[in-house]
Amino acid sequence: MSTERIQELIEKYNAQQADPAEMKLIEKLIEEGLIDIAELQGLQEMEDQLVRMDPPQPSLKLDDTFYHMLAEEKRKGHGFSWKAFFAWPEFAPRLAFASVTLLLGLAAGFFLRAPQPQKDQEIGVLTKEVSDLKEMMMLSLLEKESATDRLKAVSLSEDMGQASQKVTSALLQTLNHDDNVNVRLAALDVLKAYSKDSKVREELIRSIGKQDSPLVQISLAELMVEMQAKTSVKELEKILRNENTPTDVKKKIRESIQVII
Amino acid sequence: MEALTDNALMLKVKDNDLDKLGLLFERYKRPLYGFFYGMNKDADLSEDLVQNVFLRILKYRYLFRGEGDFRTWMYHIARNVNHDHFRKNKLKAKDSLEHWQERLGSDENRSTEYEKDEELQLLSMAMDRLPEDKREILLLSKFQDKKYKEIGEILGCTEGAVKVKVFRALQDLKAVYKELEKHM
Repeated sequence: MSTERIQELIEKYNAQQADPAEMKLIEKLIEEGLIDIAELQGLQEMEDQLVRMDPPQPSLKLDDTFYHMLAEEKRKGHGFSWKAFFAWPEFAPRLAFASVTLLLGLAAGFFLRAPQPQKDQEIGVLTKEVSDLKEMMMLSLLEKESATDRLKAVSLSEDMGQASQKVTSALLQTLNHDDNVNVRLAALDVLKAYSKDSKVREELIRSIGKQDSPLVQISLAELMVEMQAKTSVKELEKILRNENTPTDVKKKIRESIQVII
Repeated sequence: MEALTDNALMLKVKDNDLDKLGLLFERYKRPLYGFFYGMNKDADLSEDLVQNVFLRILKYRYLFRGEGDFRTWMYHIARNVNHDHFRKNKLKAKDSLEHWQERLGSDENRSTEYEKDEELQLLSMAMDRLPEDKREILLLSKFQDKKYKEIGEILGCTEGAVKVKVFRALQDLKAVYKELEKHM
């Protein structure tokens, strides 16, 4: 609509000559912001007068009741109440915070735990390497000339827990061929732990005939009793038949044979 | 020191600094009282309603986000308080109407209100004779400093619609005023 037409409408209104259709049009233009109420005669003055009208003053009673209510609310605010804690509008953010924290915790736990199998694997590899190293050290120590070193080697095999076949055969070798009785006894002591292994058991029985030291013979005889190895009787009898065997040993072996049978 | 804005004060109230509500009360008790008194012409009831507005502000302070204008939010609550009161007291409505007419009839107390300004006295009488919705829009316009956009937020309509409502109400007010002037 042209500005002239708008101006014409305003003038008509101010002259109180606007018809109902034009009044409708004026309302539409006011709504669209094309006519300002201030341009219409008499209305601006009315509005200004309204603004000038001082609002009445409330009584002092209003102040009293308000400050009393405020003091009461402050007093209530200090105490803790479960009802207030679980009141929905305030409880909702708390619940949301707790849920988010829980989820974050679970997520963190999941991501921190994920590389664990790899770590376990690494630890496994390291443990194996260490036991391989121990095994190698033990085998090389067994070949040393010094009996002390060889004893050390035997006691080292004791720490190894589950020893490999290589270790047990090295220990049997020591039991059968080592020059030093103490080393042989120590080897026998360690081999006792593996006596359930059929191969070790067999070798232990066969070892009886190879021993010339009375101490080792008696230890072996005791082990045979423990193992209830009936097949060892033949080997033990061989010792009995040997003329060089001391009588105390013979006596002990006879007792052992009695128990085994 | 620059005075804190309404919104800053209300945000402090939201954070349980309840003393700041006292400052807001001091700023708005009179305009709010004026709004209610303009609506119902009952001094005691208007004071009760002002008290109710601040009670609701306190109760629902967590809902104030500080994005909009505090005054708009407050008048929104004031309007609800006013409506709730009259809805609850529907049974007494007839009774109160009689009182109302009584009050309208006796314009003597008004003469003490606006003794010095005859024009204002006449305007106050003209306002009382307007229908409730028109009186409400004019009072909101007065106490909201003619901020039609904010009034639209209170009433739930557009700025343009508010302008038209104000225009119609002012037309009626002018007509009643002229009529009363003839009889004076």
